[in-house]
Amino acid sequence: MAISTQGATTARAALPRTRRSRSGIGEDSRRVNWWLTALIAVLSLTVLIPLYFAIVTALKTPDQLAGTGFELPAPVDLQNFADAWNLTDFPRTLANTAFITAGAVVLTLLTNSLVSYAVARNMHKPFFKGVYFYVLTALFVPFPIIMLPVVKETAVLGLDNQAGLILLYTVYGLSLNVFIYVAFIRSIPIELEEAARTDGAGTWRVFWRVVFPLLGPMNATVGILTCVWAWNDFLLPLVVLSDPAARTLPLAQYIFQGQFNTDYTTAFASYLMAMAPLLLVYVFAQRWVISGVMRGSIK
Amino acid sequence: MTMPRPFRRAATAVMATVLIGGVLSGCAGSGGDGEVVTLDFFQFKPEAVQDFADIIDDFEAENPDIRVVQNAVPDADTAIRTLLVKDKVPDVLTLNGSGNFGRLAQAGVFHDFTGDPLVDEQNPAVLEILDALGTYEGEEINGLGMANNADGIIYNKQIFAEQGLTVPTTWDELIAVCEKLEAAGIPAFYGTLTDAWTAIPAWNALGGQLQPEDFFDRMREEGGDVGPDAEVSFSKDYPEAMDKLQQLYSFAQDDYRSRGYEDGNLAFANGESAMYLQGIWTINPILANNPDIELGVFPYPAGDDPADVRLTSGVDVAVTIGRTTPHLEEARRFVEYLLSPEVVDAFVESQVMFSTLADAAPNPNPVLAELVPYFEEGRLIGFIDHQIPPSIPLQPIVQEFLLGGSPEAALRELDNEWRKVALRTTVRE
Amino acid sequence: MTTSTAAPKAAAPATPAGSPPTVRRKRSRLGRTPAAHYWMVVPALVLFFVLHTVPVIVGVFFSFTDYAGYGVWDFVGLRNYGALFQDDRVIEAYGFTFGVAIACTVLVNVIALGIALALNARIKFQALFRGIFFVPYVLSILVVGYVFQYIFANSLPQLLNGIPVFRDNILANPDWAWTAIVFLTVWQGVAFSTILYLAGLQTIPQELYEASSIDGASKRRQFASITFPLIGAFFTINMVLAMKTYLQVFDQIIPLTNGGPGTSTESITLLIFRGGFQGGEYAYQTANAVIYLIVIILVSIFQFKVLSRREAEF
Repeated sequence: MAISTQGATTARAALPRTRRSRSGIGEDSRRVNWWLTALIAVLSLTVLIPLYFAIVTALKTPDQLAGTGFELPAPVDLQNFADAWNLTDFPRTLANTAFITAGAVVLTLLTNSLVSYAVARNMHKPFFKGVYFYVLTALFVPFPIIMLPVVKETAVLGLDNQAGLILLYTVYGLSLNVFIYVAFIRSIPIELEEAARTDGAGTWRVFWRVVFPLLGPMNATVGILTCVWAWNDFLLPLVVLSDPAARTLPLAQYIFQGQFNTDYTTAFASYLMAMAPLLLVYVFAQRWVISGVMRGSIK
Repeated sequence: MTMPRPFRRAATAVMATVLIGGVLSGCAGSGGDGEVVTLDFFQFKPEAVQDFADIIDDFEAENPDIRVVQNAVPDADTAIRTLLVKDKVPDVLTLNGSGNFGRLAQAGVFHDFTGDPLVDEQNPAVLEILDALGTYEGEEINGLGMANNADGIIYNKQIFAEQGLTVPTTWDELIAVCEKLEAAGIPAFYGTLTDAWTAIPAWNALGGQLQPEDFFDRMREEGGDVGPDAEVSFSKDYPEAMDKLQQLYSFAQDDYRSRGYEDGNLAFANGESAMYLQGIWTINPILANNPDIELGVFPYPAGDDPADVRLTSGVDVAVTIGRTTPHLEEARRFVEYLLSPEVVDAFVESQVMFSTLADAAPNPNPVLAELVPYFEEGRLIGFIDHQIPPSIPLQPIVQEFLLGGSPEAALRELDNEWRKVALRTTVRE
Repeated sequence: MTTSTAAPKAAAPATPAGSPPTVRRKRSRLGRTPAAHYWMVVPALVLFFVLHTVPVIVGVFFSFTDYAGYGVWDFVGLRNYGALFQDDRVIEAYGFTFGVAIACTVLVNVIALGIALALNARIKFQALFRGIFFVPYVLSILVVGYVFQYIFANSLPQLLNGIPVFRDNILANPDWAWTAIVFLTVWQGVAFSTILYLAGLQTIPQELYEASSIDGASKRRQFASITFPLIGAFFTINMVLAMKTYLQVFDQIIPLTNGGPGTSTESITLLIFRGGFQGGEYAYQTANAVIYLIVIILVSIFQFKVLSRREAEF
């Protein structure tokens, strides 16, 4: 995801350039390409149609299901949502998912940035360089190898619960996040830190007061990646969580699928309810989310 | 901070506990008196969640010192294995009496009921089925039955009456019924091959009746030598069952390849086919789609002699206790309650199953009436797929065969999988 | 991995004589690592070791046993590995997985690059479309998979009843079910890759295009000689990450086909999960996972080698 071939200096220069190319004078001189606009509009239907399908199905009564399924519901039936709300124990599963996701995001931002900072500033030392590549190799380890030992270990350590999941996301996220952070931190001029240090600030203080605030864009990127991952993850909660009261949204969907057979309309209502929270957040924070991810990838 | 304040607070807390405990004693699960034991109850059957919730309520009312927490799980086989890996064997469990149950029992994770009076109340045939699945060191009793199922062809009585059909008792009669239905433009069966497992009930019933004596014992002896030259093998002993299975599917509706179990339950409930190749576990889902449908069930007639027909039956719900539970006494009391005649009778009536108790009255449900004699006369066989190691992809192989593969290829694959698994498995006695 | 090695060289320049004093001072500063830097790394390192590396070691260890995940076990040496190479089911799963991974990697990158180019051009409602194309990324593939499962099984047979493959439910067709899995994977995968390419495209200074237009270069030539070389690093990283991700295809198979019909859509991850947990052959399937790890690493290294060389040629 993160590219560091450009080296520290060119990467730093990329930001202003980006802005120029988007709203620069050169851009305005181009004419609007209507053919391309039409093509993109058609292509965007591939994304919108399944969403439309999920919404209309969730609003139907079971006897309206006949046909291709793309017809509009008449009359609209909201009972499905009430049923799905109860069957999936929605308030609790939502709260569990939100808690785990929020915990994972906060802990990840606070710790992974710290690790990356120390690594980035000491890349010339074999120890830190070793740490960097050691953590990075985990990206390539397929989950099935560690699945059963992790289940065992978390149970022994008393981590087969929400807190354990938060810790696992934080630790497993390290691989990718260090990759993203390190490239960015190397582009921050060290003079800023030195100035703070001459003012008598210690290393920790320098990090929290000077470096961490500068990491804003990368924190956004890492936060988004962690949030989407923890929110939608299925396999890890499935095997790690022991207490049924701790179930997350994807788990509830999986269970729901086994429990209620022909109840397609209720099932679709529950799919929508599972997708809605993150989708709503995305709709409102869309610009910010996309620019966050883009910035992360330029580094 | 001064001393008196926390002291006073603690005293208040103690007082409150005593008071509340006194008021609530007699109420279920108050937790206030500190004497209540909580039992973790692993429950695999999604369609029985409500039944068990009611049973637990009644039990807790009678036993205020025990609280039972039902843990209903999807994909029970994976869930129980995950719990075992965590070394968190539940206090009390229900599990399907499948090959998986036997494997877990062999691993020594379940309580030994030997000598327990509850064993004497069980139907001996049920104990035999569970014993055949596997037990710890081959001599313990690691589980008790709560409900037995039956693998039979479900039929729509109204369609049979309209077409002037009678229940077939031999293979030829069954085919004759199918042909008459075909002539009348009614699909004989509703096939749901999208869900691989739905081909297995018929496969079990046909294969179980047509295979030679002690087939699986001899297969196990051969182990890694199973192949074309072996004395017994799927290739040698199963072609008839496969051909007959394929013949049945030739009478299914046109899109049997692309429909799933849930579609089938709905379609059969709406009278879209005359028969359904399932077992009695499907009766409730069908009735949920159409409460007015009149159903009957008959055993798969695999051969030429009505007297040879055997009903395939297994332990649908087995009950057991975790071997290492710290609450053995309480867990046993709960199991005793689960297996008391009133609870079992009510449960099997609700789930449309058969009781596993020795002197149980037959299930009064008229849908099951035709199957009762087989239970009374002991004309039963077990599910053969329980004898096949779970690492063999039996369901996909049979599914692929019915989707258009050849019987020879499917049987060759089964032999090959059997051989491979036998070669890589350590045999422990 | 290899791309990032360029960074350390650039940032810690070998300081020849005559380099500015500031650089020398920086270097000396860098030379003394404050103890706090170790404290920042070590606790996380320990946790990482305990929660990731230890499980890997434990997993590899058990691949030499006949452990079921519980109960007793014995060492069996290399038996699991030997059996693996004779297991045609495993070999078929590798075939399927590689086919899907290659198809998805190519399709995702081609489509994403195309959409990114279009979104980067002068079109109307740019921000809106960008927002729409990114939507699949935030959705759970399991849940989306259930929606698509219903569409494939119930809607398409009626909508496209002139095309036999769709009329008979493509998910139930052993020869074509894999295309549905590729479709869902691409549907979701394109979102993220598009944004990455878009980010890459925006690093290209507009002036380069203006200059080449003045020189009379065609659009195609501009793409071949400016756009593609300049986003080459993005291309490499996208290809490697995509391939690595799609080799582990799992979440999309569960709701769509669950490995069927037959075992025609059984991926390696699904086989390991199923055989290891449901089938009770934990040790055997862990051996499979170890081989799989080696395969993934080899494929990634190979990709980096080939793609980086191609990048350099431009």
